[in-house]
Parts: sequence; C-alpha cells; structure tokens
Amino acid sequence: MPVGSAVDPIVMADLRFAGVRKDYGEIRALRGLDLEVADGEFLVLVGPSGSGKSTALRTAAGLEEVTEGSIHIGDRDVTNMRPAQRNVSMVFQSYALFPHLSVEENIGFGLRARGVRPGPAKVKVLAAAQLVGCDNLLERKPSQLSGGERQRVALARALVREPDVHLLDEPLSNLDAQLRVHTRAELKRLHQRVGATMVYVTHDQVEALTLGDRVAVLNEGVLQQLGAPDDVYRRPANRFVARFIGSPAMNLFPAERVDGSLRAGPFLFEARPDLPERVEVGVRPEHVQVDGGDAGATAEVQVVEMAGSETYLHLQAGESRVIARVGADIRPPVGSIVRVRVNPADAYLFDAETGETIS
Amino acid sequence: MIRDRERREYAFMLAPYLIGIAVLIALPGVVTFALALTEYDLIRSPRFIGMQNFRDLWDDEIFRTSVRNSLMFVLFAVPLRLLGAVSLALLLHRRFRGVAAYRTAGYLPTVVPDVAYALLWLWIINPLYGPLNLALDAIGGPTPAWLTDPRAAQWAVIIMSLFVIGEGFIVAMATRQGIPGELYELGDIEDASPLFMFWRVTLPFMAPTLLLLMFRDTIFSFQATFVPALIVTGGGPPPYATTYLPLFIYRNGFEYLRYGYASAATLVMFAMTALIVYLQYRIVKRWRHAFVV
Repeated sequence: MPVGSAVDPIVMADLRFAGVRKDYGEIRALRGLDLEVADGEFLVLVGPSGSGKSTALRTAAGLEEVTEGSIHIGDRDVTNMRPAQRNVSMVFQSYALFPHLSVEENIGFGLRARGVRPGPAKVKVLAAAQLVGCDNLLERKPSQLSGGERQRVALARALVREPDVHLLDEPLSNLDAQLRVHTRAELKRLHQRVGATMVYVTHDQVEALTLGDRVAVLNEGVLQQLGAPDDVYRRPANRFVARFIGSPAMNLFPAERVDGSLRAGPFLFEARPDLPERVEVGVRPEHVQVDGGDAGATAEVQVVEMAGSETYLHLQAGESRVIARVGADIRPPVGSIVRVRVNPADAYLFDAETGETIS
Repeated sequence: MIRDRERREYAFMLAPYLIGIAVLIALPGVVTFALALTEYDLIRSPRFIGMQNFRDLWDDEIFRTSVRNSLMFVLFAVPLRLLGAVSLALLLHRRFRGVAAYRTAGYLPTVVPDVAYALLWLWIINPLYGPLNLALDAIGGPTPAWLTDPRAAQWAVIIMSLFVIGEGFIVAMATRQGIPGELYELGDIEDASPLFMFWRVTLPFMAPTLLLLMFRDTIFSFQATFVPALIVTGGGPPPYATTYLPLFIYRNGFEYLRYGYASAATLVMFAMTALIVYLQYRIVKRWRHAFVV
C-alpha cells in the first residue's frame, strides 16, 4: 500500500503494477512497486535521477523485463508479453523521430508497421496531426522542425493508433523554459480532449503538480506517496516528499525540547506530549513571515534572489539557514537584520528516525 | 586569422604526410604518366612514342582479358564483400558473451600479411589434400579443381577476398551502433518486424557509410587481386583465367621490362576505377533523399 494515498480506491485500473521489482545486477531499480492508474487518468511519476521512474515506465512498455511481480493493462496480465502485444504507445525524451522520414511517415510509422494500408493510414495520420496541431507540417522532415513541433509529431505518433495506455518519458525536458510551460498547458488540454490513460515521467516537480490528476513520488525504487497534486504538496507523507516537492525546497530543522517547548532553528513551537524522541520540523519558504517588527527571531539577510513575481530571501538565523519566499516588493538590503516567524499551523513535523510525517 | 607562427606549426606537422604524398604518390604518378608515352626497358633511355602504347593495349588480347577479369572480379567481389561486412556488423554490434572473440575473428584475416594469407589459401583450396574440398566431399558437395579449372580459379580468388573485410566490418558496426536504440524500441512497441526495421531504419541510416565503403572497396578491389593471382593461381589456369590488371602490369613492367607499356596499362586501370566510382556516385545520388545524412 503506497504511503499516504489520499484518494478513493480505484474501481477499474487501466494500468496496474503489482509488486514489481526490477534489478540490474546488484542495483535495485524498483523495489516492489504497487501502483494503479485509472482508466483515463493522467498520472505523473516524479522523482530524482535514479529513483526508478523511467524504469517503471519501461517495464510497463515491455522494454525491460521485470525481476518479480506483474503488470496488468485492463484485465490482461501483460508481464510476459512483447511490447507490441501490450497496445501501449511511448513518447521518448528524445522523441525518437526518424530523421529520413517525413512528419506524415513518422506519425504513420506504427500503422504501416502493423500493415495498415496507405489510404486508411493517411486518414488516421491526418486526424492525429490535427489533434495536436501539426497537420501543416506533414511534408517536412524532422530536421526542419522546431523542438516544440517535433514534440507534437511524437505525440501525434503516440495518439494515432489509439492505444490503451500512453507512456511519456520526460517529453518536455528538451524544450526551453517558455515553450515548456506552453506545451505543458497544451498537453493538459490534449488529455482533457482525448481522455486517454497517460503515465508521464518527469523529474520536474512543477510539471508533476501542474499536469497530473495524481502524482506518484518515487525515490530509490520505492513509491513514497501517491495522491492528488494538492495532497502531495500540502500533506507530504514523509520528509523526502516534503523536501522534493516544492521550490525552493522546504526548510528543515532538527528540533530539541526546551522547557516544554520545541525549538527548531530560529522557531519555537509548543511541544505536544505524544511526539517521538527525535523530531524534525519543516517549514515551507512561503510560510516564513519576514518583517522588521519586534516579534520573532532575528535573522541576517545574506542573499536576495529576485524571481519576478516573488523574492527569495536566504537568511542566517543563529546557526540555521532559512529560505523565505516573500512578495516581489519586499527586498531588504543584504546584511540587514529582519524578524522571522512562522504560524505553528503551517509547520510540518517529521519523525527524525523514520522520516515519516507526524500528523 | 591564422598567424604566421600557427601557419609554420601546421606546415611542420603536415610535412611528413605531404612529403610522403609527394615522393610516394604524386611523383610516381607524374613519372607513370610520362612513361606511358614512351618505350622504356630500363636499359636504354626512354623513347617518346606518343599514344602507341595505348593503341597496342587496345589490340592486346591478354590486356583485354585482364580488363574483363578485373571487371568481373569487382562485379562479384564488391557486393559480396559489402554484404559480408554488413552481415557481420549486424550480427556482432550487440554486446553478448564472447562477442569480443567473434569480432576479433572477423577482423583477424585483415591483419594477416597478404603473402601468408595467399599461401594459406594455396593449401586450403588444394584439390588433393586441401580442407575445403575434403569438407565439400564429406557433405557430398562438388569438389571443383580450384587451381586448374578457369571458372573455379576465378571464384577461388573472389572467395579469398571475402574474408578480408575487417575494416568494412568495423566501420559498418560503428555505424550500426550509432543508430539510436530508441528507434528500435519504438519499433518493438509499434510491432515493426525485423525486416521492416531493416529496410525502413537500419539501411537508410547505414546507407551513406555503405556507399562510402562501396566506393572504397571498388578502388581496393581493382588492386586486391595481385597477390592471390601471383601466388595462388599464377595468373592461370591457362591461358589467362586469373590474369587481372595488376598482374598484367606487374609482368609487363618487371618481367618483360616494358615499363612504358605497363605505365599505359596503369593509367587505363586508374581511369577505369575513377569512371566506375563516378558512375556509382551518379546512380546513388538519385536515392540520396532516402538516406539519413
């Protein structure tokens, strides 16, 4: 059972991982993954490099054999099926377009490989191209396309065959920042229009939160949390998820008991009697209140990062470093002393031994 | 802007190569061109005879036979050698247990000195005790008289050349390894058959390299017959079944001391090679759009 799953049980899973383990020699890429993706759902697998997210996607596609466990698509056990028998599509990070084939031939590649005649194939290719908005590019070669256009062609190729499940492996990572935001929204719209089951792998937590109906956070081959983006952000299951999701990352302080209180970095909280021996306190940067008043601990401003609509302050409060996300108009000079506070309701408590969130 | 000092450094570093080209290729080329217009036997001074050597070549039955033999050799050996190199590359481009040994075996004949290789084949194709005919006999196959039957001798020279494909094999294998693996993974997902993937992906990706290998092999094949023809078949069986252009040139020059005549034949061989490569280039240019370049 995934940690911190906060959604209702799914009635019909379109794609299901049941205790999937994948070893590469000594390296354990997946350690018993249990995960269900609902019919028509957009599920995002997110995690740092080496977390096993791409491996999970590749085992679903059949490009990697599982060491243990099973994979199901609809009511079929596809664990030992060839990739072609699974009826999935895949969009690769590099798009994997054939440079010598036109856009039309690229989109229709799977249809032609499966023996669909040129006439019917052309109709389907045109429909898929129109769906993603690349029907004006059909005669071109991939080298004549921009990054965003290539990405659309790869998507059209995935859609053309109407497979049971679409697997997308970091398809936006080769685009520049502006185009990535634009394409992200387009992808979301496309999913809403098509309603297909999509599993999307990314290391970018912003992509994960903005795109996914649900987000599955992986680390070292273990599912850390599965839930709606809001749940994952607001109710992280453990320290890893809390630190990984959110930018800048959550401030984390080891806590000590002082006279019935809990001191965590510059902050002081009321200590509950049921807390374990060793506790850590997490505070999201946007919950750090910064002002020049009298209340709260003092901190020295060390770095001020302008990020357009907001400002990130890197503060030194005694021995602790604190990052605060404040409004764009708050720009204290470097070296100045400010006061920092946090509302106790906004703080997260973690068991320092296990890393689990203490509710 | 390249500064003078850099220019001197480049010149210094290129010097060994440029001197080598000048002394070993350009100068002999000019001398060959000049000698082709003379009668020269190494004893008397060269005598200018204009185009007479070329007219004599035109009427020379042995020369015409050696041209025909060389063309037939190129016609069969080049495609077969290319096929062998590509087949080996496609078989051995993946990593698997023992692949290094297979790759070494594929390349090894290329590093064996030509004369040693020819002597080895002299034994292999010996009709009485050679292992090739013993093996063919054991499986009930034909046992050609490789050294006395003209057609069999021509095939023997072609077969010998088919194992010296190490360089083509390595280049083809490197090209195959350069094709992104994701394209084949996509093929797996899209149910593309191996044949479909070969025609639609592998071949277009490898085509530019294969064409380069074909041009190179054509040039090479005109010259590659020399050692086997000299050592294994002696240019025979009679009259001139395996007398190819290089052997014809060698005999006229170094055995009959007809340097002018041999030089003229050399120029004809050079022109033929250039013409064939040019024709190949013209033909493949039409299909360039289908290649990955």
